[in-house]
This record gives sequence, structure tokens and C-alpha cells, in this order.
Amino acid sequence: MARYLLKRLPSTLVVLLAASFLIFVMIRLVPGDPVTALAGPDATEEARAAIRADLGLDRPVLTQYVVWLGQVLTLDLGRSYRLGGQVSDLLATGAANTLVLTITALLLATAIALVASTVGVIADKKWLNAILSAINTVAVAVPTFVTGLVMVLLFAVLLPILPAGGTPPAGYLARIDITVQYLLLPAVCLALPASAALTRFLTESLRTQLRQPYVMTARALGIPRRRIVLTQALRNALPSALTVLGIQFGTLLGGAVLVEAIFSWPGLGRLIEQGISARDYPVVQVLLLLSVAVFVLTQLVTDVLHAALDPRVRLAGSTPGGK
Amino acid sequence: MSSPLLSIEHLAISFSHPRPAVNDISVSIGAGEIVALVGESGSGKSMTARAVLGLLPDGATATGSITLTGADGSETPLLGVGEVALNKVRGRRIAMVFQEPQTALNPVRTIGWQLREALRAHGRVDKAAARERAVELLTQVEIPSPEERLDHYPHQLSGGQRQRVVLALALANEPELLLADEPTTALDVTVQAEILALLSRIRERTGTSILLITHNMGVVAQVADRVVVLQQGDVVEEADTRTLFASPQHAYTKQLLGAVLRLPEPDTRVHALHEVDDRREVEPVVRFDGVHVAYGSRKRGRAFPAISDVTFDVRAGEVVGLVGESGSGKTTLGRLAAGLVPLAGGEVLVAGEDLLGASASRRRELRRSIAFVHQDPQAALDPRVRIGDTISEPLDIHDVGTRAERRARVTELLEAVRLPASYAARLPHELSGGQRQRVAVARALALRPTLVIADEPTSALDVSVQADVLTLFRQLQEELAFACLFISHDLAVVHEVADRVAVLKGGRLVELGPVQRVFAAPRADYTRALLAAVPAPDPSVRPVRADETPDEAADEDGLAS
Repeated sequence: MARYLLKRLPSTLVVLLAASFLIFVMIRLVPGDPVTALAGPDATEEARAAIRADLGLDRPVLTQYVVWLGQVLTLDLGRSYRLGGQVSDLLATGAANTLVLTITALLLATAIALVASTVGVIADKKWLNAILSAINTVAVAVPTFVTGLVMVLLFAVLLPILPAGGTPPAGYLARIDITVQYLLLPAVCLALPASAALTRFLTESLRTQLRQPYVMTARALGIPRRRIVLTQALRNALPSALTVLGIQFGTLLGGAVLVEAIFSWPGLGRLIEQGISARDYPVVQVLLLLSVAVFVLTQLVTDVLHAALDPRVRLAGSTPGGK
Repeated sequence: MSSPLLSIEHLAISFSHPRPAVNDISVSIGAGEIVALVGESGSGKSMTARAVLGLLPDGATATGSITLTGADGSETPLLGVGEVALNKVRGRRIAMVFQEPQTALNPVRTIGWQLREALRAHGRVDKAAARERAVELLTQVEIPSPEERLDHYPHQLSGGQRQRVVLALALANEPELLLADEPTTALDVTVQAEILALLSRIRERTGTSILLITHNMGVVAQVADRVVVLQQGDVVEEADTRTLFASPQHAYTKQLLGAVLRLPEPDTRVHALHEVDDRREVEPVVRFDGVHVAYGSRKRGRAFPAISDVTFDVRAGEVVGLVGESGSGKTTLGRLAAGLVPLAGGEVLVAGEDLLGASASRRRELRRSIAFVHQDPQAALDPRVRIGDTISEPLDIHDVGTRAERRARVTELLEAVRLPASYAARLPHELSGGQRQRVAVARALALRPTLVIADEPTSALDVSVQADVLTLFRQLQEELAFACLFISHDLAVVHEVADRVAVLKGGRLVELGPVQRVFAAPRADYTRALLAAVPAPDPSVRPVRADETPDEAADEDGLAS
């Protein structure tokens, strides 16, 4: 395992370095600049130059990049131009909230997908599959901001049982009832498209597994369909479903931007939204780099888990008899 | 006589989409009896077995009746009953063994887990009891160190051992009847002999009846008590094994038996035959000179030898049969002749030239004289390309002649393989398996090769079709005088077509000599074991004990020529 990770390390580092450079350059290509945002439209040329020098934006781009890279490597993320405070502090609070939201959504999506796909495949009823597939299509097709608004309308306005969103009180995670209140709507909203995609994939791979000869062997032994699906087919479908789940995690992080905006959830998504409108380079750069890092890390974890789930990969080369 | 254990009466199976169906099949199996259900592809033999356990594919409808009669006289209908009723019979009273041991086991569960699952399908068992019973079952199917095997995954076992595990699964709940669907077809001949002997012993020990589904007449002759011959969904003949082989009544049975290739009787007189090498001075078409091939990366120390120090040649106009079991390196050697695998040592000379040392353009030229015919004609032909285009593809690639000339050549080639010229416009799926293989042969001959490498060209075909294709192949070879490296695991086929035969084992050449001599008086122990393992299509020559397996140690004492 350690050797495998070591082998993957160089390519991971190259990806991160390339991403950091692209992010740095691209963000400076976006029209508008932080000086205007900070100084306001009526500022004098001297005031603007002072701000520019203060932020170090008067130096060549490549120098700025090297300086920033050095800062990132020493974990000194600098100060936010606009939001005030250390970027690292902003990041810490935001990251915690976003992580809570995305992980909840991911678990929710996985649970929904597992239940929906196994129930559909085990029951194997035309009408049930038609209903499941219809729900699925709707869940994929309707954009997050629509489901979000509809859910706010339903559960916060018409039937006021949940808050329409907002910042939960500090230390909310310790109180499960408060956590559920604040987290439920955004998490469901975020989970829906992911769960639909995952359900679809898992259903298809379960069906493929059921056509495999080993399933015929199990059926001929008198093992009921339900048990074959749950203990054998699912186990075989899991490795590839995990890969899809890994990709979904990245998408969920992206989707969090919208959902956080709708429910004013104080996460990274809201932070990046504010950062981009203010051209707050230090904030945006680090956030984008972080999302790349998370994506790369997810892929790595997925591959490792994939190997752990499949004995043919796990035991490759360690035993005789396998060609 | 009391009513048989299983009786299938007037079974008919139809499909919602066109495919070979079952018209009217009646078969009965008595207690402790081994009945063989014989027929070629499309005869309905597998569908009949699957119908017994209600395992027909979606869209199939079965009519007629299938009844299982218990020792107490109770009758259980099996056709048209629901899953719940079927699950009580499946595995417990009737179990099934499938053809492909490679895929019949769940790849991600251990052997022990799968055996426990089979046991708990019919009643509660605690872990310790299940483990004990699993060890007992693996012992029964004669797997060495069963205790250890329980924690292994299927991919860690050899093909033969996997089939034993499949058999152990089927025997888990002591069924009264075993349905064995081509249980040895995917196995090597020596392993096949072991599994067949095991099946016979299981019947003797437990009194389990066996319905054996097979296309191999040799297998039938070795183990069956009674034979039912199927042709396109109908029973054409039924008789006890000896009677059927001695005096087949139906024309189709005669045809089936006639198409079976037989090995010659061992003949010690041939032993004295002097092997003269009268063609030495002619340049061989291909010469392997002490070749070595290794698979895996040498850097990581995982390289294992696929071919070790093999030396022999194929001369112009000669057919050399390359025989061996899976893993013997016969396919690798075939690919080596065309320079398709990296050489780790030695030399491959094509028409006297070092193939791998030649320049790229020269290698291209040399390769032009080499053609391949592969095992599976279904996979070797592009399903979306018309037959005519498939055949002319090599001509197009090497830019031979004008378009009109190429078209004429395609017609000529189709004619040579006895197919009507109009087939040029057809797609592969419109052809039968045998016709597809003829197309593959035609394509191989397009560039007038001096060497044809035929890798198991007939093993995917039915016996009667196989005979036709072999006859055609032999005729073409004599007519066009190309040299041929004929790779096969089937000794009878090699005996039919080859002039000389090379026997490979574990990447080494164990015997080489003229076909008559090698088959009549083999010198290597391994060749003898290989020949002995072939089930003779004659019920009167059943082996007393088929547990003599080929010696594991490599022997090279049979080298001649």
C-alpha cells in the first residue's frame, strides 16, 4: 500500500503545481481588478497606485506567483483584501461547514442510491422500475436552485417546520436537533442529483452482475434472489460504484457553491462567491487550489479503496495460480 | 420398475425472439443413473437442463411437464411453479454444474464463504458447522489441503480446482440429481479425465443420478449409462451407451459418431521406424532457434518464462501440429513466428532472415508472407464489415492490384473455401460458425502466404462442422502448398491434419516427431499421459482408474528430429 501511494506521489505533485499556476494566471485574466473593488470608482490615481503597491500587485506576475507559492508552501495564506482577517481563519470556518454539508449530502446520496437500486432490482417489477426511473429523471433534470427554492417554499414558507437557511449558531454540531434543522434542506437539495446519478449507475451494474454466470450458479443452489443481490451482486458492483462516488464527491463540492448561496450556508461556496465578486485574489486562489487538491485526494482514496475491495487487485502477484 | 427420479415429458420451449428452440423432448433419469444428453449447438440440450430448475432466460416459455419423484413416491412438479417452490428443489434435490469454472464462482468471495452460502440456502447452519461441512465437501471433490483452500478466492485456484469447487457447491446439500452442463468442455484433457473419473466416483459413493450434457462423444462413452441424442430440439435416438455406439440407428447419430476423430491404437512396431530427414537442405519457412520468451517485468523480478529454449522448424509445404495444455506456451510460440511477442533469447528466422533484427520495412515484407487463423471466428470478424471487405482488407492494406482485381480475388477466395460469391455482400452474423471460420481462412489466404498460423481454428465449432472445416483446410493446404503451424489442444485434430507434431509442456518442447510415430509410440511420459487422457469414443475401453495424471516433472527424453 505504502509503495503504491509513493508511486502515485510524483504525478499528484505535478498536477497540483500545474493547477496552482493555471489558477494564479487565470484569475488575473478575469476582467476587473481588486484595486478598483477596494478603492472605489472615484479614487485618485495616487491612491490606486498606493493600494497596488501595498498588495504587491505592481510586481511582475511571475514574481507574484513565486512569492505566493512560497507562502502556500509555508502555510501562510495571507490576508484577505476585502473580507478582513487571515485567509486561513476564513478557510477553517468555511471548510468545516462545507465539509459537514457535503459529507452529509454524500452519505444521503449513497443511502438513497443503495436503497433505490437494490429495491428496484430485487423486486424486478415493471411498474416499480417505471416510477423509480421517473423520479430519477426528475432528480437529475431539475437544477439545484429550483429544487432549493421549491423546498424552501414548501418546508419554510407554506409549512414552516424548518428554517429557510442561514447561519447555524456556533457549536451547532454538538446539538443534533439543531444540526438537523439547519442541515436537512441544503443537504437533501445537494444530494438529490448525485443520488439520482448513483442510483442509475448502481442499478445498471447490479443488472449486469445478475447476468453473470456466478449468479446462475447461486440461483441453481436455491439461494433467493434478494440474498444474491445483497450479498453477491452488490459486493461485485461496489468497486466501480465507488469510482463514480469519488467523481460525485468532486461534483458535490462544486454544487455546494449554489446550495450555500440559496440557503446562506456559511461555507466555502459562499466564501468563494464573495471572493470572486471582490476579486479577492488570496481567498479565491487558495480555495480553487484546495478544491483541486480535494479532487486529486478523492481519486487517490477511491483507487486505494477499489484495490481493497477487489481481491484480484489486492492479491495480484502474491499467490500462484492466478495468471 | 417404479417411476424414474426425474421425468421430462413433451418439453417444448419457445422464445419471444427468434432463436433455436425445443420442440418435443422427453427424457427420464432413474435413481443412480448417468444419462447423457448429446447434441450440437442449437439442439436444445442446455435449455432442457435449465428448464428443469426453472432457470430459462427471460422471454422463454416452456410447456409439457417435468416431475421429480422422491424415494417415498411423492411427486414434485417443476414446470410452471413459482420461485419459492423452485428454491426448495434447487441445490437441495437437484443441483447444477456449469461449463465455465472461470466465471461460475463469485470472484470477490472466498471458497468457504460460497460453500457456506450454499449450505445456508437450505436451513440454518452455524459458522463452525458450515466450515466443517465445507472441508468435508472439498475433501469429497478431492481438493488437496481443503482447510487452507476455504480462505482462498477463486482466482487463486487452477481451472480444474475451480470446477471441483463448483462441483462441491452442487453437492453441498446432497442432491438426488446432478445436472452437469458441459462440465469438462473448458478444461484441459488431463483435467477433463480427472473430473470425469470424479463424477463416476461420486455416483458410486452417493448414488446421485447425473444428467450429463455434452457434445463430446468421447466423454459420453466414458461415463454415461444411457444416451439421448438431440437434434434441433427433438429427441432422435435413445439407447444405452454400448448399444448406441455399437449400432446407431438414426442417421444423425451415425453422422455424429462418424464425425468423431479417433486416435490410432498404440503400436510398438512403429517404434523401430527410422526417422529420416530428407528435406534438411531446404530453407525452413520459419525456424525457432533456442527461443526464450518471458512475461512480466524483469525489473520487478516478476518475469516468468513462457517459452524456454525451444528449437524446431517448419518447412515449406509442411503442417506442424503444436500440442499442449493451457499455459504450455503454444499460442505464444505462434505469435512469436510473426514477431508479435518480444523475444528474451534465441532467434526466430523467417525464410532464413532474423525477423526481429530486420528493419521495419523488411519486417513488414516478411510478415506479409505470414497469416493467422484464430480460434473464435465470431470475435475475429468485425461484425459491421461485409464479408467481401473483410477478405480484401489485407489486399487493401498492402495495396495489391486494382479494385477490380481485388474484387476478382475475393470471389476466387470465396470459391476456394466453398462459399458462394454472393456471400461477399453479407455481414458476419448472417453466417453460421463454420462459414465464418471459412471466411477467416479465406482472409488468411488473401496474400498467398507461405506460412499460416492456425490457432485452435476448429475448437469453437461443432464436431460435424469441425470435420468439414478440417477437410477443407487440408485440401487447401495440399493445393496451395503453404506451410502451417497448427496449434491445438485436441490431439485427434492434430493427428488428422499434421505431418509432424511438437508437444509443449510448461514452455518446453518435450517431444517432436512425425505424427504417426508420436501418436503410435510416444517417447515422452507426458505425451503418453496426454494421449491416455483423451476419452476414447468407445464405451468398451473405459479406463479402470483414471487417476493417473501426467508427471509434474518436465521430461525431455522424447526429443527427436
